[in-house]
Amino acid sequence: MTDATQSDTAFRPKPSLPPPANTVGVVGWLRKNLFGGPIDTILTLLGVYLLYLIVQFAVEYGIINAVWTADTYRECLDINLGEGACWAGIGAWFNSMMYGRYPDEEQWRVNLGGIILLLWLIPFWLPKVTGKIQVGMSAVLTFPFLAASMFIGGDTGIFLHVMASIALTLFVAVWLHVAACYVLGRSLPELLISITGFTDKDDRLHKYVLLGAFAVGFVIALIYHMSWDLVEVQTTIWGGLFLTLVISGIGIASALPNGILLALGRRSKMPVIRVFCTSFIELFRSVPLITILFMAVTMMPLFLPVEFNPPKLAMVIVAVCIFAAAYMAETVRGGLQAVNKGQYEAAQSMGLSFWKMMALIVMPQALKLMIPNIVGSFMGLMKDTTLVSIIGLYDILLMGKAAGQNPSWLGFHTEPLLFTASIFFVLCFAMSKYSQHLERTIGGGYGRR
Amino acid sequence: MKKVSLLALGAGFLASLAITPEPVLAQDSTLEIVKNRGILRCQVGTPAPGFYSLSDDGKWSGFDVENCRAVSAAIFGDPDKIEYQSVTSAVRFTAMANGESDVLSRTTTWTLFRDTQLGLDFTTVNFYDGQGFMVTNDSGVTSALELAGATVCVLTGTTTELNLTDYSRTNSLDINPVVFEDSNVRDSTFFSGGCDAITNDKSSLASTRAKAPDQSIFTILPQTISKEPLGPVVRQNDSQWNDIVMWSLFAMINAEEMGINSGNVDEMKASSTNPEIKRMLGVEGDLNKGLGLEPEWAYNIIKTVGNYAENYEEFMGPKTVMNIPRAGSVNDLWTKGGLMYSPPFR
Repeated sequence: MTDATQSDTAFRPKPSLPPPANTVGVVGWLRKNLFGGPIDTILTLLGVYLLYLIVQFAVEYGIINAVWTADTYRECLDINLGEGACWAGIGAWFNSMMYGRYPDEEQWRVNLGGIILLLWLIPFWLPKVTGKIQVGMSAVLTFPFLAASMFIGGDTGIFLHVMASIALTLFVAVWLHVAACYVLGRSLPELLISITGFTDKDDRLHKYVLLGAFAVGFVIALIYHMSWDLVEVQTTIWGGLFLTLVISGIGIASALPNGILLALGRRSKMPVIRVFCTSFIELFRSVPLITILFMAVTMMPLFLPVEFNPPKLAMVIVAVCIFAAAYMAETVRGGLQAVNKGQYEAAQSMGLSFWKMMALIVMPQALKLMIPNIVGSFMGLMKDTTLVSIIGLYDILLMGKAAGQNPSWLGFHTEPLLFTASIFFVLCFAMSKYSQHLERTIGGGYGRR
Repeated sequence: MKKVSLLALGAGFLASLAITPEPVLAQDSTLEIVKNRGILRCQVGTPAPGFYSLSDDGKWSGFDVENCRAVSAAIFGDPDKIEYQSVTSAVRFTAMANGESDVLSRTTTWTLFRDTQLGLDFTTVNFYDGQGFMVTNDSGVTSALELAGATVCVLTGTTTELNLTDYSRTNSLDINPVVFEDSNVRDSTFFSGGCDAITNDKSSLASTRAKAPDQSIFTILPQTISKEPLGPVVRQNDSQWNDIVMWSLFAMINAEEMGINSGNVDEMKASSTNPEIKRMLGVEGDLNKGLGLEPEWAYNIIKTVGNYAENYEEFMGPKTVMNIPRAGSVNDLWTKGGLMYSPPFR
């Protein structure tokens, strides 16, 4: 029996014809999606025309008629009669919109702080690094103190010295850990223990070794930090995008932990905690953010002794944190309620304590569900921080408005708004993209569908 | 009911906070506080061209900023020991009441209500403003009384709007106000012909005109339909501090009248024989005693900040974008037909 004879006699269908030329390729796609019928065609043509108008205007306003070098807005007007953008002004005001009134020669401190934070967070994206939660915790808990000592400068006081030194030690440790993970494939603690020869010893001794290593690092960092001699920059002159990021950054970093605690408190069976958390959430969620800011900045000093005069920025940050926590609490509670009751009961029947049940069983499931909502709140918070301009903090939006009121730049108000809008778009879009990435990677069964 | 009693307790607590009387400030006088702090806290507004504006290197400057610099020079001999506070007009008086600012110097109109019911004292006037109209030259309008039936661009929720309707009714002009929330939108509407005229304080009209692509086609009409005397404000019940701020301004006005400016003040101090100049510059007498300042306080103001005319030229005069002529206006010296008048230094 040969294949050849069989194939000769077997029924062989004709090879199918290629699909009609107008249903495949570019033409087919166009017909299917854009010109499916008379209404589709009209809508497509209208859409293309609108797009043409928008693009034409944008190109004319933003590129063809734009002025790139000028010393005053009047010079721009003389060149383009207001028909195009005056990007020269953005150049002149760029530093102000980024750093507010922070002195030019000290701005490297802000940049360096930002770079340290980025470096601290990079290990999150490195697949081989272990202990990402610890890395994240170290950044969230100690970086603000390091940043404060760098950005404010001057005589920081012993508390900030200590906290900033802890932060420096941990920062160096994180990167030693990353190096260890990549070069030797072991975590930093393992490496330290094996170097000192305690591998075979009791676990308790391991702890002492790590603590000892940390103490040595801390002392070196403290001596180094004490030697810093930075000019004091009062928080009253902070501004621009830097200020926006400081306020929203601290608000965002504190919102999730505080929100989780408040949400758990609200679902607690202990009446005092439940009543406290519920009233806290309801009180701050039902008042506009601007009211809370007003209370914090203009009303609070009336009730405080004159000697106790906390900086405005500190009050604003506390107010934003409270507000963000109240909103986040309800997002988290929604996530908690979406977790099946069986999960709680299963955890309890395993004999887990409340905190273990929450940390190991419930929260990991709930947080996955909440990612879109959490990121939505963060983006909202970041944009809400522009309200601080009303109480006289020169964030990026108010700085942009101030630019147009300078006698040399009178009338310069569209360009700063466009610039600010594009910065907010980039920041928020990046957050949105990152949340989608998180949903895909840690979402598991609940991931993006 | 437990919940009710808890609520009542909370409400009672809030109420007790709300009815706390006058803010309790330390017993020290403002001068003592400022001297101890080593820095003057001066409140300006969100930037307004001419009066207070922010440069791209973060410095405040302007006509009202000079008041603060004068006070700083009088106290410290250095015009720049100032922490500027810039808040929106909604919270300007609260920021004074809660002790945040030492002096408020920001285009604030002196009215009876504000002087008597806000716990504040107006010192004196450094700029007489007033509401006016601006039209295009093409319209042929030369007087506000010719604006019958015209559409006028105006900011909403301000006394400007009220003044406009009052003026329209009194003179039966039947003006149609077109109201705006944002001054930039109002200005561009006016430039593109959206209304026949625009109304605001004349100093603001000057800055609106400065924004226009072609400034020469606009005219500010001569009529002034409201009185807006602007000047620095201090907290009530500290008359020494009130005196310091007020006389710092008078020193600048009097210096102009006496012909002293930042250029010739050293010469005047050394060689002038005029007894009033000698008293003012601290060569003779002890006029500084009552103010609690150094004898050379007025000299320091004139040397570092300048006299009234110098400041006017720098921020409002014809060489600036504001271009508000001073000669013959109410802001000229009393000797030239204006209202700028300093009590004598004796």
